[in-house]
Amino acid sequence: MRKLVEVKLENIVKTFGETVALKGIDLHIKHGELFTLLGPSGCGKSTTLRIIAGLDFPDKGRIFFDDQEVTYLSSSERGAVLVFQNYALWPHMTVYDNIAYGLKIKKLPKDEIEKKVRWALQLVKLEGFEDRYPTQLSGGQQQRVAIARAIVVEPKLLLLDEPLSNLDAKLRLEMRSEIRRIQRELGITVLYVTHDQEEAMAISDRIAVMNVGTVEQVGTPREIYEKPKTEFVASFMGKTNVIPAKVVEREGDKVTVEFEHFRLEGLTYTDKSDKVVIVIRPERISLHPIENAVKLEGKVDLIEYYGFFIEVVGMFGETRIIARTISDKDVMSLKPQGPVTFYINRDDILVLPKQL
Amino acid sequence: MKVSKWSEKLFGTPLFEPLVSFSYLFPLLYIVVFLIIPVLAMLAIAFSHEGHFSLYWFKSILTSSYYVQFPPQGDFAIKTVTATGETVYLIRGIDFGVVINSLVVAALVTLLASLMGTIFAFIMARYEFKGKNFFRIALFIPLLVTPFVNAYVIKKMFLDTGLINYIFYELLHILPFRIKIDGLAGVVLAQAMTYYPIVYLNAYASFINIDPTLEEQAENLGSKGFHLFRTVTFPLALPGIAAGATLVFIFSLEDLAAPIVFQGDPLAKKLMSYQIFSKFLYGLGERSPEIAALSIIMLTLAVLAFLGIRKYVSLRQYAMLSKGGRWKPRVSKPKPWQAAIIYVVLLPLLLLTIFPQIGVVLLAFSKQWSVTVMPQGFTTEYVKQMLFNPDVRRYIINSLMYSAAAVVLIVLLSVTSSYATSRFKGVLTPVLESLVIIPIAVPGIVVAMGYFYFFSQVFPNTPLDPTNIFSFNPAFVLILAYSIRRLPFSARSVYAGLQQVHVSLEEASMNLGASRWKTVTGILLPLISLNVFGGAMLSFVYSMSETSVGITLGSLNMQYAPITAFMKDIMMSAAGSAQLAAALGVLLITVQILSIVLVNIITKQRYAFIGLT
Ligand SMILES: Nc1ncnc2c1ncn2[C@@H]1O[C@H](COP(=O)(O)OP(=O)(O)OP(=O)(O)O)[C@@H](O)[C@H]1O
Ligand SMILES: [Mg+2]
Repeated sequence: MRKLVEVKLENIVKTFGETVALKGIDLHIKHGELFTLLGPSGCGKSTTLRIIAGLDFPDKGRIFFDDQEVTYLSSSERGAVLVFQNYALWPHMTVYDNIAYGLKIKKLPKDEIEKKVRWALQLVKLEGFEDRYPTQLSGGQQQRVAIARAIVVEPKLLLLDEPLSNLDAKLRLEMRSEIRRIQRELGITVLYVTHDQEEAMAISDRIAVMNVGTVEQVGTPREIYEKPKTEFVASFMGKTNVIPAKVVEREGDKVTVEFEHFRLEGLTYTDKSDKVVIVIRPERISLHPIENAVKLEGKVDLIEYYGFFIEVVGMFGETRIIARTISDKDVMSLKPQGPVTFYINRDDILVLPKQL
Repeated sequence: MKVSKWSEKLFGTPLFEPLVSFSYLFPLLYIVVFLIIPVLAMLAIAFSHEGHFSLYWFKSILTSSYYVQFPPQGDFAIKTVTATGETVYLIRGIDFGVVINSLVVAALVTLLASLMGTIFAFIMARYEFKGKNFFRIALFIPLLVTPFVNAYVIKKMFLDTGLINYIFYELLHILPFRIKIDGLAGVVLAQAMTYYPIVYLNAYASFINIDPTLEEQAENLGSKGFHLFRTVTFPLALPGIAAGATLVFIFSLEDLAAPIVFQGDPLAKKLMSYQIFSKFLYGLGERSPEIAALSIIMLTLAVLAFLGIRKYVSLRQYAMLSKGGRWKPRVSKPKPWQAAIIYVVLLPLLLLTIFPQIGVVLLAFSKQWSVTVMPQGFTTEYVKQMLFNPDVRRYIINSLMYSAAAVVLIVLLSVTSSYATSRFKGVLTPVLESLVIIPIAVPGIVVAMGYFYFFSQVFPNTPLDPTNIFSFNPAFVLILAYSIRRLPFSARSVYAGLQQVHVSLEEASMNLGASRWKTVTGILLPLISLNVFGGAMLSFVYSMSETSVGITLGSLNMQYAPITAFMKDIMMSAAGSAQLAAALGVLLITVQILSIVLVNIITKQRYAFIGLT
């Protein structure tokens, strides 16, 4: 049996009473990929996962594992193992029995079950905890038991619903690379859900950014970060400047846009809508002159010191724009309410249709 | 105020406050004096022989073949052939001796009730089917208490000419012969039919409270069908089911109504509850310490079951671990074979178990019920008698007054005890917590015997002395007994109410300068008034139908007897009429339905019956 599985979702629609949780989702997750669903709370991540796991069934659309349609296959026959957002540990079973559950169902011999459970316990660093009950574990330990319970059955598709949300920062980083390592080692396809963009970037081969029941963009972390296709994706991927503006001139795919009294020429934009936002990452704004760049003159509102970088918040008319630098020198000459000039390469300015 | 070490230790507050001390001490002393000491008085009698401490009575009980008999005697079923050539199997059960019979009956009743209760609870919690609402309502009907008449109707159902044979032998031909169920077997059936909804309610609550993701996870890992039920669903519901089952065990052990109704068969008399009852009632004057010893044995069994289950349940109180999971109840449409079971097996079963209550109503309006399937002839004579006969009216008024007086005490006891145990953590807190709940585990007949010995010794030759044949007035004793026996119903409700009110509300009031008294009466009581009301109503209803003490101590002076003592009299005596008793049963049912509907409307909460934890 080949383990790697490829997952295809075609136009999945799911409603709960009045709420449309998923409005026609298409996804293609490739063999052995670690694919992440990223989006804010309530956007439909868990619903998507549950539908893939066979715990809910879509109102419309189809699901394929490799070439086999599984849309209405029951969860117990699907082999897509889900780690629930709330862990769903059985309180009447010990850690050992929780982890061994799936293996017992597969009717593995006793000593093999024992071996595998030990292996899984070691993987999640919970050796010695096998006789405890879930209530006797901390939130993070419970979460790790849930992960072990899923991994131990070596599923062809592993679905993780915010599996690290309850861990402290250090453990989270550790587990993150553990998951990555396990995934490579076992060669399983993993669908990972999180609302933490940094986590998504760090762990994923590819990311799908979701917003109220739709997929806004699918791509590698770099693509999503550098070339967001929509205002939502841009604003969701970390702190960024999103400035409402208007297209005032077009020439082929080059446009001139205007916000406040600033005119920015020679930007690339192809959509028809004239209402736009310009998106500029703070770290792409320079505080010292660069050739051929767009120049914005305003005044300093705030200077914020974050340790390894410094943020300068400038006011340009009524618009606040944040620049980020790692150089103390850049800010030495600045003072609150004093003048400041931001320099931005045209390539670093994204123009996207206004959306929100 | 000065700091008091004692207060801190006992009551959990360093400042000695009269109201707090009262809240602890009043219920504590009340239960000690009116429950613990009477039981101890009985203990003293049971353990003494010819003036010495001795195990004589226990030895004499446990070595007599009347009480313990191995191997058992008698045939489980006896085949007879009637004049018309029909075969009838008479099923009565076998005789292990009184003590073991009680255990066997209670165990069988518990088993049957648990099976039925769990199955009904499971389909109600997990399936969506036509007629579910009918099931929901019908499942409450067996809980309507009609002492004696209920068991009487069940006895009629299982006669060789009764409803069961009519349906399964005459109409459907499922039975190849007629059956007649009597004796211990009859008692088992009657109790199982009456008590299974207790398991149902507890089990239903358990199934409903299982975090759905726990089952989904199991399914997701490949489990399904019965495996899923066996490994996840059932173990998670088990604490609730076991709590309900234990209640049934205790109720069966102490039940008097079924053995009294089935006493036409001598085998039905060979139960501890009945033995204590009859030896007490017909022993007159010189009541042997054997009764006390038997009561102690019964009490021990009930308390052991009770403590066992409390321990077990507290160990496995699965606070569901769920965090942030969405609560999507797991209800589905039954598969065809499951639907078939629901409609072909469970529905008829349900209908049979609510028939006793229907039968009571029919009986109240009928001329006679001898060997027919249903009662015959319509008349309102008995209902009129109940309403207008001054003697009958007197019993009703007695019961109303005693119950009302008991409720006043119960409210006071439950408010004080719940206030103390929910707000302060002293050494006395767990003691009081247990004392308030322990009456559930003390069989009514044991309370009655305890009171008998206690009051005859402590208040000899007063109207409180049950042996004072001509001037004993049971009013006081009955009110005490009701207030103790029904206290847990109300205390639970009030305690739940207090848990809903955050302490900060009281702290704010005291912080603004209000006294403790003012805070409790002005802030707390209004906030929990609905819970107090709900608990009071339940206690009232179940005081009205209290049986064990009513038909023993209560019947020593019929002038002051409660309604249940009168019902027992007319059911047992040859001259009495089951119809009048049924009419009184209808009255009780009406009071119960009205109260529960009223409580549900006013408090907007579902009050039904007591659980154990
Ligand atoms: N069983 C349900 N009944 C009703 N509405 C539901 C149900 N499950 C999900 N929804 C709704 O569907 C939408 C998507 O929910 P979903 O749980 O998939 O979000 P999510 O992206 O996982 O959010 P979070 O990050 O908070 O877990 C929400 O608006 C939610 O309220
Ligand atoms: Mg979610």
